[in-house]
Amino acid sequence: MRSISSVAIAGGGIVAWSAAAAIRRRLPAIRVTVVPLPVPPDALADRQGSILPSIVDFHQDIGLTEADTVVRAGSGFRLGTCFEGWSSLPDYVHAYGEYGRTLPATAFHQHWLRSRELGEAAPFDEYSVGAAMAASGRFLPPEQIPASRVSNYAYGLHIDPPRYREMMRAFALHLGAEESDAAIADVRLRKDGFIHTLVTDGGGEVRADLFIDASGPKARIRKEVDGCREDWSRHFAVDRLVIADEPSSSEPSALDHAKAFESGWTWRSTSPVRTSKGVAYSSAHLDDAQASEHIGGNGAIALSPSRLTNPWVRNCVAIGDAAVTIEPLEWTNLHLAHSAIDRLVAMMPDADCNPTELWDYNRQTNAEIDRARDFVLLHYATSNRPEPFWRDASSRPLPSSLEHTLLQWRERGRLPFFEEETFARDSWAAVLIGQGVIPRRMDPLMTSIPERESARSMEQLRSAIQSAVAQAPPQGVYLRNLSIQGTR
Amino acid sequence: MLAQPPLDVVIVGGGTAGWMTAAALTKLLPRACSVHLVESEEIGIVGVGEATLPHLRGFNERLGLDEAEFMARTRATFKLGIEFENWARVGDRYIHPFGTFGRGQGQVGFHQYWLRMLHDGCAVDHLDNYSVACTMARLGRFSLPSDDPREINSTFNYAYQFDATQFAPFLRSHAEALGAKRTEGRIVDVELDGETGNIRAVVLNSGQRIAGDLFVDCSGFFALLIGKTLGEPFQEWSKWLPCDRAVAMPCRTKTSVTPYTQAIAMQSGWRWRIPLQHRTGNGYVHSSAFIDEQDAMDSLVAVVEGDRLADPRVLRFKAGRRERSWVRNCIAIGLSSGFLEPLESTSIYLIQAAITALIELFPEKDIASSDRDEFNRVVDVEYDRIRDFLILHYHATERSDSPFWDYVRTMEIPDSLSEKLELFRRRGRVVKYREGAFLEPSWVAVFLGQRILPEGHDMRADLPSHDALAAGMGELRTEIRQVVEAMPDHLGMIARYCPMAA
Repeated sequence: MRSISSVAIAGGGIVAWSAAAAIRRRLPAIRVTVVPLPVPPDALADRQGSILPSIVDFHQDIGLTEADTVVRAGSGFRLGTCFEGWSSLPDYVHAYGEYGRTLPATAFHQHWLRSRELGEAAPFDEYSVGAAMAASGRFLPPEQIPASRVSNYAYGLHIDPPRYREMMRAFALHLGAEESDAAIADVRLRKDGFIHTLVTDGGGEVRADLFIDASGPKARIRKEVDGCREDWSRHFAVDRLVIADEPSSSEPSALDHAKAFESGWTWRSTSPVRTSKGVAYSSAHLDDAQASEHIGGNGAIALSPSRLTNPWVRNCVAIGDAAVTIEPLEWTNLHLAHSAIDRLVAMMPDADCNPTELWDYNRQTNAEIDRARDFVLLHYATSNRPEPFWRDASSRPLPSSLEHTLLQWRERGRLPFFEEETFARDSWAAVLIGQGVIPRRMDPLMTSIPERESARSMEQLRSAIQSAVAQAPPQGVYLRNLSIQGTR
Repeated sequence: MLAQPPLDVVIVGGGTAGWMTAAALTKLLPRACSVHLVESEEIGIVGVGEATLPHLRGFNERLGLDEAEFMARTRATFKLGIEFENWARVGDRYIHPFGTFGRGQGQVGFHQYWLRMLHDGCAVDHLDNYSVACTMARLGRFSLPSDDPREINSTFNYAYQFDATQFAPFLRSHAEALGAKRTEGRIVDVELDGETGNIRAVVLNSGQRIAGDLFVDCSGFFALLIGKTLGEPFQEWSKWLPCDRAVAMPCRTKTSVTPYTQAIAMQSGWRWRIPLQHRTGNGYVHSSAFIDEQDAMDSLVAVVEGDRLADPRVLRFKAGRRERSWVRNCIAIGLSSGFLEPLESTSIYLIQAAITALIELFPEKDIASSDRDEFNRVVDVEYDRIRDFLILHYHATERSDSPFWDYVRTMEIPDSLSEKLELFRRRGRVVKYREGAFLEPSWVAVFLGQRILPEGHDMRADLPSHDALAAGMGELRTEIRQVVEAMPDHLGMIARYCPMAA
């Protein structure tokens, strides 16, 4: 048995440099060489600015502080996404963390569902600190909000991808990662199919025990080893994106907007330095020119929703868009890459890349990817919009794992447990309730709880949330204070 | 949303499974069902599981049972884990503790740092010294755990060693107070609905007919409803778990009342030693293919300590489970649903897991297949994971001193276990679950205890310097020792907290 002592990473975006930094920081015995390839337009994990809360833990694990990741990188905080027009119901916010609080007998959403039946419930997102704060335009982290002790929330970031990438690259280089020259001209394999060498345009050679492909959907090096993919196009109606980013002209907002329109959906998010806009649509229902016009951008990106059958084969592991192509709804792209990097660090095998160890990595990684996919599909599957695009999107076949969740929910409001789930049960409940999917039956456990008792606890929580949120400053003010502290 | 009309639930059998089910349903779903339990005093109860898992505490809490009263009534002692003796080699001993190794915080398991020191060439102390639960067990101490995760004495958990024949009556008094109805009688007939195949009623020897919407089969190995009546097949696992008999014999406690259970490997199986307040339970679990009953009985009698309180009694069983535990309107809970030998004290845990699933999936009168299928999926996962964990104890051995050990050492094992073994062997990795009876520290304790020593370790454990790690481990060990030495001894704790009635 020989440990892995060198890793080569193909790719030049956030994913590649994040992997380089994490490996150098957490497994310093491993030499890391990044072969910097240009970031292709369809590498969403490298280009998306709205990031899930797991990025905060990722930063903490590699020793980056908010002075680096927020102040210097020009990032803002984000608490969730407002979904507009996804069904015939009012807009709803999907924020991170708890909806409601621990109540007797059963899950909070069951208490809420009964109150709703009695006509006494406020909208579900009014019971989430994160959602209420996001809607108010304010921001404080949970440790500064006492109400978070009864109902916790989490925040992610709005990053400016080019600046953030530079920050991460500088950090990785500081940690001792090396950067090779030029593009990859050739991938040389050993007889057993393992990668032996990457040959660069200048004739240089990069050898390593393990190769990470973070080069985007075309998977420049991984495709030479094995490119077998699981196609998801039967599940997804969206196959095109137009992204239009511009410098920011307004106050940063902790709330993203995902707005459904007749042939797809558009997003808008505002960080301190830029406004990101985009449209996701189906080429069968909207042509690229119309889409570009719709959002005021240009250059359509084609998506083929899919994942590698096995993200890790022999000594080559694909992460980010090289492993999974999925539209940006709910912003899973960089999260899945971070999670793959963490898992890679935790499961680093020996140089022989033992198949059982790879099997375990692939099993966990695929389980996580598939549930993230299910969560994205959930938004379409439960939409009742009448337009042809939406009827197409909502009537597509569902993966059996999503069918299982939907059946358990529709029947009795139960959310079955899955290992490696990205989105917590409350996130599922927030979207299901937000889209108007109401279970047929009431949870029998609710029969032992007097109606008045639930109502009182729910109302107490809602008013605690309202007063807590009122005390938080606008996000712009919070960021300016952080910046003053950070540069002191 | 529909609020469903209450269901009439009929529970067949009044042992541990029956009364646990009755107590849970009457407490948690008082308006969603009425409970009617039928039992016969002519039929004895197996009284499985004198030793339990920590999960039982959650069950008791949910039911609002007072711990001290429960322990006094069932003459219980505290249990911090199981000590395995003679398993990998004759003379070996290790504890599978309820709790973590190290402080149980951080992303890298403590055993990885321990392995790293070992691979650095250090003479490290036995892993037990870095576990509060193991140290308490070794020193015979007990106090209740802290709920402040920063404190080292929050890193253990505990269960009970109790008289299972006293648990059912204790639960019965609670269930009856909450409205459970009990009828004494022997069932002589089961009426099925000609159209749906559902059970309509059970008929007693008195001629009384008890109808219901939902029938819970807690009739034990007899499996009156799920097996005898509905014919649901039994999936047998004896090729992996060949033990099919136990000789049980309680005795007076002579040596110490240990806060742990012992599982001592024998020539053709293993024997348990479970100290309660008033007596010590003993039993030899063995395989009839390798030893006959009389020899097993003689071997047990020869080694138990203290005066015997009863003659040896033989139990016969088969390892395995029903293909489905919920069929039509009949739900099997307890031994009617399956059996796994008591090596890791899982019998009551499996009852509890089934009850929890039933409550979470409590059906309507017209049962939705989504409730039934999900219940079966959840129960199957529990059985299958525990099965692998049990097989590990037998298979990972170096013993070759009897045909029994030769068989289990060389038998083919399920792929799901081969993968787990390979992952641990290479880098001490434990296949990760968040749910299930046994989580990472349990697998680590048993793998290492069975002499599966990883060749490598998690590379993240190389991050701290050797000296810093050695110092940290030394401090941890000292802190654990000090904290445990300040605890009362086990019997003293029981005498103050939960003494049985004289």
